[in-house]
Amino acid sequence: MLLHAHTPSASYFQEGKMATAVPPPSRKEILSLFRSFLRSTRTFSDYNIREYTKRRAIDAFHHNKTLSNPSSVSAAFSDGKYQLHVAKRQALVYSIYSPTVKSIMDINY
Amino acid sequence: MASALRAAILGHVRVPVVVANGSKLLAPLWTHRTTAVRSMSSHDDHLEKNQVIDRILDIVKSFPKVDPSKVTPEVHFQKDLGLDSLDNVEIIMAIEEEFKLEIPDKEADKIDSCALAIEYVYNHPMAS
Repeated sequence: MLLHAHTPSASYFQEGKMATAVPPPSRKEILSLFRSFLRSTRTFSDYNIREYTKRRAIDAFHHNKTLSNPSSVSAAFSDGKYQLHVAKRQALVYSIYSPTVKSIMDINY
Repeated sequence: MASALRAAILGHVRVPVVVANGSKLLAPLWTHRTTAVRSMSSHDDHLEKNQVIDRILDIVKSFPKVDPSKVTPEVHFQKDLGLDSLDNVEIIMAIEEEFKLEIPDKEADKIDSCALAIEYVYNHPMAS
């Protein structure tokens, strides 16, 4: 899938120096990131990609829920922000090249 | 609801012929009904409370981690159903989609239980 195709390594985002430690994201910021993810998945035109992105976001957030080390929490948060950026960009690209026939699961009778 | 009431009234009450001093039997009934019901008002497409309750309970029951038998209108998501804050966000998202609303983050953070969700949706003017 297109997500995680160019996942940067955690050290790419970390500052590294102890004196300028970035505070780990608060609970509210993480929940707000999760909410932005779910909102951005609504704009996907294809049913399959929308459902996959939602599932993947939910699984990833649950998987990283138990992290306690602040630097790994910050790394996961930055990774999440990057993936959100990817998802938003891809939603735009998919909408340009969307298929004319909608998936059967999208039709509500 | 108003339209059903209006139809019931029109089915059972005949239109009185307007006389100068009015028939004492029917005229008071008509004036009382039309002013009390506001049958021409367009504000009456508000959702019924029990409709809102049913739809929200359906959403919570169809959530995969929830045990449907425990769901009541007063249930608390994290304390009674054993969900966590991420599941809370998911449920609120599902409610947003069902009622075609946009709930801002500040309000969404406060919605912790079925009762709060029902109250919020019922009081929202744009819910449909």
